Amino acid sequence: MIPTVSAGPLAPHDFGPAGWSPADAAHLLRRSQYGASALEINRAHKAGPLATLERLCVPQPEEPQFERESALLRQTALDTGSTTNLQAWWLHRMLHSANPLVEKMTFLWHNLFATSNDKVKDAALMLAQNDLFRAQALGDYAKLLHQIARDPAMLIWLDGNANRRRHPNENFAREVMELFSLGVGNYTEKDIQEAARCFTGWHMRDGEFWFNDIQHDTGSKTVLGSTGKFDGDAVIDICLNQPACPRFIAIRLLKTFVLPEPDSKTIQAVADSITKNKFILRPVLRELLASRLFFSPQTRAAIIKSPLDLVLGTQRALVSAPRLEPTAKCLDDLGQALFMPPTVKGWEGGRLWISSTTYLLRANFATEISTQPKYGPLIDLDAQSRQHQLDTPAQAVDHYARLLLAAELDAKLKTRLVSLASSADSPDNRDRGLLHLLLALPEYQLM
Amino acid sequence: MAGNRRIFLTRCGTAGVASVGVSMPGIWRSAVNAAGLLGMPNTKGRVLVVVEMAGGNDGLNTVIPFADDTYYKARPVLAVPKDRVLKLNSAVGLHPKLGDLRTLFDDSQVAVIQGVGYPKPDRSHFRSMDIWHTARPESVDLRDGWLGRALERDPKALAGGVPALALGSEKLPLALLSGRVNVPNVQSMDAYKLLPGPGDQSAQARAKQTLREVVALKATEAGGELDFLRRTADVTLTSVDRLGEVAKAYKSGATYPETGLARKLQVVARLIAGDMGTQIFYVSLGGFDTHSRQQPVHELLLAELSGAIAAFLKDLKSHKLADRVMVATFSEFGRRVVENGSLGTDHGAASQMFCIGPGVKPGVTGAHPSLTDLVDGDLKHHTDFRQVYAALLQNWLGYPAEPVLGKGFQPVDCVKM
Repeated sequence: MIPTVSAGPLAPHDFGPAGWSPADAAHLLRRSQYGASALEINRAHKAGPLATLERLCVPQPEEPQFERESALLRQTALDTGSTTNLQAWWLHRMLHSANPLVEKMTFLWHNLFATSNDKVKDAALMLAQNDLFRAQALGDYAKLLHQIARDPAMLIWLDGNANRRRHPNENFAREVMELFSLGVGNYTEKDIQEAARCFTGWHMRDGEFWFNDIQHDTGSKTVLGSTGKFDGDAVIDICLNQPACPRFIAIRLLKTFVLPEPDSKTIQAVADSITKNKFILRPVLRELLASRLFFSPQTRAAIIKSPLDLVLGTQRALVSAPRLEPTAKCLDDLGQALFMPPTVKGWEGGRLWISSTTYLLRANFATEISTQPKYGPLIDLDAQSRQHQLDTPAQAVDHYARLLLAAELDAKLKTRLVSLASSADSPDNRDRGLLHLLLALPEYQLM
Repeated sequence: MAGNRRIFLTRCGTAGVASVGVSMPGIWRSAVNAAGLLGMPNTKGRVLVVVEMAGGNDGLNTVIPFADDTYYKARPVLAVPKDRVLKLNSAVGLHPKLGDLRTLFDDSQVAVIQGVGYPKPDRSHFRSMDIWHTARPESVDLRDGWLGRALERDPKALAGGVPALALGSEKLPLALLSGRVNVPNVQSMDAYKLLPGPGDQSAQARAKQTLREVVALKATEAGGELDFLRRTADVTLTSVDRLGEVAKAYKSGATYPETGLARKLQVVARLIAGDMGTQIFYVSLGGFDTHSRQQPVHELLLAELSGAIAAFLKDLKSHKLADRVMVATFSEFGRRVVENGSLGTDHGAASQMFCIGPGVKPGVTGAHPSLTDLVDGDLKHHTDFRQVYAALLQNWLGYPAEPVLGKGFQPVDCVKM
């Protein structure tokens, strides 16, 4: 057979004679959705890598019950206007949608074009923006960048109406380069001032985009080396044509799905794929999630879980019917309130998720999951025990470590856990105690 | 330089070396050697409290060049009238809402360092804040902060405990980040508690003990994410216990204003009084990004800053602790000289820093930057912020500044020698 792809990091992974293992399946699922249940891991393992990836990347029909619940939660959010209800609507989608990767990518856009309801104060506009993200979740970033510049929530968030011909406001122009497409170091202050002039008159009226031509500066501008009577769309096209742009998106994808500190060569490989696919992300993600790089040892247990990964992932694995409002509150405490990013920079993630305050909250979340039904009832531990024949403490440790940890259990750690499990006074306390400790471990904070 | 040298010798010469002792492990020894000193601070138990003014404080309306007409021309709406300025000398004075600070100034407890900034100022909040936190304007390396790097050179900090603490933030400020020392941050003292696990009391105790043991395990890959998580978990469990013990006995010696910053500083006072050995505290006051309708917001913030710090120092004085404590304020940038069309000010560049406490060399240091010789409409700096950091590290805390900040940052003369 003639290899059709070069031997770069994005070449398809060869699973070799050992084949696609349950650990490989769990790795793919934990990265492309918010956690995985034992059933899901088993199903993905049986289906194989290609079918699993196909299911994740190709739109799947939603269950009618899911659609009904989602519509109800959406209506509630619209009726009350409350951020908590908005969060509940989205969390429900993240937990129960048949298209979990779409939700993960929707969040990636929310984090990139981070807009807060704290300032927008309009549930309908936040929902409309979220719909925009979801429509292009695995779609066209270039199109999304053009759309977001006209998005009413964004116009409120970055002071669109204050951007007038005689008094250009740089807020959106700065962020479109710094945070939405290029990153620091790829433009000058002068480029921002000129770009701000191009967006003058891009206003909002009655909850809709409004081109206020009286306030638009029609003069000549020079942005990133090009000169012309540019408007906002022209600036966005100029940004999209910078080599820094696909690299900027590549870094986001790599940090979200693959590893925290990608090297320059890897970034360029993904950027090239983005360019080749003209900013359509579905084929880029499919290539990335099947790649040698994705399944390499260096990417396993390499990413620190975001609160969403931690909390929803734990619920997916251990809670039979997650309760949405306490979940939203818990995520807020851990630093990830949906629709309320701390700044326009979004959540920076990685090690910044972890501080002693949030570690303590994560440890306390472990306690709550294992001792009380606050976030929803725990799965039937007794049934698990019977089904998987968890007769000895060592068997229980192995079973739950495989379900919950991204890396293989360290021998010293296993000894301590088995010893702890052996000291329990009942099978139920044994398993609860084990879950409590596993979920509080530094190892559990990785995926 | 003779003064600096003397302070190192007196402070490190006795208890410093003795406490490191003969059993100093290799890694500490090499850290000490790298620092170019034998024995390390902080034998006098000095404390630095950093107060971050987030959002870009309007320095020009904080320390006001009232004698310069250009100020009044540039700020037709926002300028503070000459007769309301709390004059410090014939050129500059404080905003009228900084009355408490003025009282401290008269009591020789305030150093005003004017014209502070860095080359090629960045007007992005994020980037500029990162620069102030990392003290590396020329690099985007965010792996550690200036205080984190200082702690890495302190064997006591490397040995564990709570060498520094951030209060009131969910995230650890980048300034305190280090690849080797983990600093706890406490968002709220009340919530800083570990819930007991499942089972009876003995099961709970076993679980806690096991958790303590397993987070202390050595990760196979030093410097990796797991290593970082284990170190954080370790300092979390340690600090939960320590803070629980310390918090009880303290009685406040001052009435604090009902403000967020005052509440945070009161906790800092309590922790200093509890003597946990913490040398660096970090708190933040946000809201200084005053693009529109600046006046009422800015006044409230300045009053909050001034009132909280004054109450804090009074409280410490009543506990006979004030001599050990210095407060230093900074903001990521000042604001533009000319006010904008929405009764506010836009992002600027150079501004001032305050150092406050009995240990400062009091007075106004450096001239106010010119209001006519500007760079892109903003004030030019004449003092690099790293020179102030150098003074705080070297002359106050007793840490060598050069390994942390790089060469060539002559400490500003703002600490009593």
